[in-house]
Amino acid sequence: MLTRQHAIADYDSGRIFPDRLTQKLHRPYPGYAERMLRVYCRGIGRTRKELHRAVWTILSEAEDCPARRIEAFCKLLDDVATYDRDARGRAAALRKDVFHAAAERHPLVRRADRLFETEEARVKADIATRLGRPWRDIDRDLFADVIEFQRLVRFEGYADGAALLARYNVAQVQAALYDAVAMTVWATDDFKTILRYAKLAGLMHTITRTGSGQYCVRFDGPVSVLRQTRRYGTAMARFLPALIACRGWRMHAVIRTRRRGWNVGLDLSHNDGLNSHLPVPDDFDSHVEEAFAEKWGPEPRDGWRLVREGEILHQRQKVFVPDFAFQHEDGRSVLLEIVGFWTPEYLEAKQQTLKTFEDQRILLAVAAPVAEKLDTQPEQTIVYKSALLIKDVLERLNAVQ
Amino acid sequence: MSHESPQSPKLSFSGGTLLLEGVSAEDVRQLFGSGRWVWDGRAGGRRCDAIEYAAIRDRFDQAGLSVDDAVSDWRTINWPEVQLPKLRDEQQQAVAAWSRSGRGCVIMPTGTGKTVVALTIMARTATSTLIVAPVRDLMYQWHRRIVEGLGYDAGIIGDNVFRVRPVSVTTYDSACIHMAKLGNRFGLIVFDECHHLPGQIRRDAARMCAAPYRLGLTATPERSDGRHVDLDWLVGPTVYDMPISAAKGRTLADYEVVRIPVHLSPEERVRYDDLSREVRSYVAERRKTDPKYSWEDLCAETGKTPEARRALKAYFAKRSIEDRAEEKLRVLEDLFRLHSPEPCIVFAGSNAMARDVSRRFLIPCLLNHCGKKERLEILQGLESGVYPALVANRVLDEGVDLPEAKVAIVIGGTASSRQAKQRLGRVLRKSGNARAVLYEIVTAGTSEEQRSRKRRKSDAYEGTRHRRS
Repeated sequence: MLTRQHAIADYDSGRIFPDRLTQKLHRPYPGYAERMLRVYCRGIGRTRKELHRAVWTILSEAEDCPARRIEAFCKLLDDVATYDRDARGRAAALRKDVFHAAAERHPLVRRADRLFETEEARVKADIATRLGRPWRDIDRDLFADVIEFQRLVRFEGYADGAALLARYNVAQVQAALYDAVAMTVWATDDFKTILRYAKLAGLMHTITRTGSGQYCVRFDGPVSVLRQTRRYGTAMARFLPALIACRGWRMHAVIRTRRRGWNVGLDLSHNDGLNSHLPVPDDFDSHVEEAFAEKWGPEPRDGWRLVREGEILHQRQKVFVPDFAFQHEDGRSVLLEIVGFWTPEYLEAKQQTLKTFEDQRILLAVAAPVAEKLDTQPEQTIVYKSALLIKDVLERLNAVQ
Repeated sequence: MSHESPQSPKLSFSGGTLLLEGVSAEDVRQLFGSGRWVWDGRAGGRRCDAIEYAAIRDRFDQAGLSVDDAVSDWRTINWPEVQLPKLRDEQQQAVAAWSRSGRGCVIMPTGTGKTVVALTIMARTATSTLIVAPVRDLMYQWHRRIVEGLGYDAGIIGDNVFRVRPVSVTTYDSACIHMAKLGNRFGLIVFDECHHLPGQIRRDAARMCAAPYRLGLTATPERSDGRHVDLDWLVGPTVYDMPISAAKGRTLADYEVVRIPVHLSPEERVRYDDLSREVRSYVAERRKTDPKYSWEDLCAETGKTPEARRALKAYFAKRSIEDRAEEKLRVLEDLFRLHSPEPCIVFAGSNAMARDVSRRFLIPCLLNHCGKKERLEILQGLESGVYPALVANRVLDEGVDLPEAKVAIVIGGTASSRQAKQRLGRVLRKSGNARAVLYEIVTAGTSEEQRSRKRRKSDAYEGTRHRRS
């Protein structure tokens, strides 16, 4: 991730546009990106300072490249690089030896005279002899633990230049989000992933249903009800890559600018062509779910249509997205949750969740070995052996008033 | 009121705020007036900033209402071994003044024993305490002082360590980040160099903390942005103010400031002038079309034109030349000769210059990269006389305890007067018969001269003597 110091953005009519490199407007950049990757790939043993200088050299050819963009690329490359941080403290030990040896001959003077015979060159040569290495080497290693002089030992890199550019574009949106005071997501898909990652990032949510299978979720934090605060901007930025990997969403964030303290809007949707380094969320959590959805097919059965992650159940900060929603032509709706895998903690949490939302019509499909452990009302439960059968489910659905 | 509410009122700490549940809107209005609490539908309760905790507790107690209070997670501390020096009169006054209200700022010049005042207050308050310091060096220094003075091994939160104990030390940045989780763990919070606190983000370190007891310490409360007035509600009003003139010549050493101009070498001068011309001509060119063209505009333009980028680069190269002028090293040698074997402390304007000095004279160099152990070894080495001198960058600008040094040499730095005061404080620490000297080596005929002039406006620099070059 970048820092605020790397952020580049344009502002227009109350909106913010984070820096974005596109094929159309930035034709040479894929070439630059490949060259930067080569610098790092071949740069094992070179210092951070040298590598950064090489990146500067490549990008100084670009007509329109601001210093911040160059620094940003250095940061993104460093993010996937490992430098020798001198964890064993060799440089510090060397310094101690050298400074101790020189202390008794302070001050080191340029030219010896009657008062001070401690000539710089001679003292340094003496220390070199005592340590058994040429002074040039000592001088080079004396500050090898300082960040800019650390040497590259490994470079994990990016798949290719395009992947580096993709990461840059996402990182600039993230850098804009650091100053966000609120974020709203409208979603029609992948609710589970969106809510799970937002929670992992430490955000609070306010969920509003805007239509069948459509939700609006506002993300912020505890203090946000008291005042506009940028406190949760970092969490929103951390959450962004997960959102970008999802389908069917649109996002609006309110950014409070640093220089003037104005609020500007940042808009983004899954159609904007940003690429996350995270994979698209799996359609199904398990084989049972996948097999069931496939067997059911896209057409309604007895008037019931099957929708994956169709509804969000929520009460204050508790959320539950059942695996499937059945929507009947006449407006009835029933939710289905499949409990296949289990651990004692998982079952306990699941039961707690079901209790919170007991006023909802939820069917539970439970694998036979799990069923014994679970204490729920029997009319809610469908026990299955290896696969969930459509006729069992339909039977229950049709019994629903 | 309990008859009207379905449940008894519950007060808890939630992410840096207080959450009040089970009280009707009417009761809240009656008890607290309007405005303090904000309804939060996401949590089903009302919120306010954790800093209000003491006031809210008082209100409940005054009204004689019971509340299920789950906020405080702090406890009484039994200090293992209190070994504090006898307080001087001013220090005693400071402790007494603070103790009257249990909150507020104590203003004392650097070197007059702020730390001992704080440790005494901690010893008497005897509750879980968090110390917030500006930088990690100071954080470690507090850790050390707590071990020495109170016999307690405090927790450390910051510098990639997260070891929370009932008494802990941290930095402002870490405090801001973690206060949402830790804000109810401490009964007393101490803000060292508290002029840092009112920054827009840093104030969260005070606002999101429920500690009823608060102490701010500083030598220089003023901020150029005027925000120091906020210290009144973030920490408490100033309870004790000791002017620097009261400290001078008594507990602090008498001092003198000597300014030495140095000149760029002919090669440096040629390059410096070239770079200056480049910057000037670029700006002049732009001002033809835009008379208000400013430095900010130049920075903003570097993204658009290679010329602007070159001008900016020239500007930084120019600054680097004045900062690292070769002649400075020569003058430094003269001063080392003059004062040998007295310990000297050199303050550099950049890490690069500090390393230049270190590599030229082979004296230890205190920079951000130094580990805790190395830093301690260097400081103790200077104190015990193992090292004749050390060079530091801005690490030591504030409050880090330095061993006795009567000679300080400033070879670059920014123009803020607070920085100047703090630096001077380092040299003046501890009394003795010898007069302390502060040398300032400035590159003549460059913008560094202007910065030096600005620096000396601070009252700490009164009585500056110039030396002809």
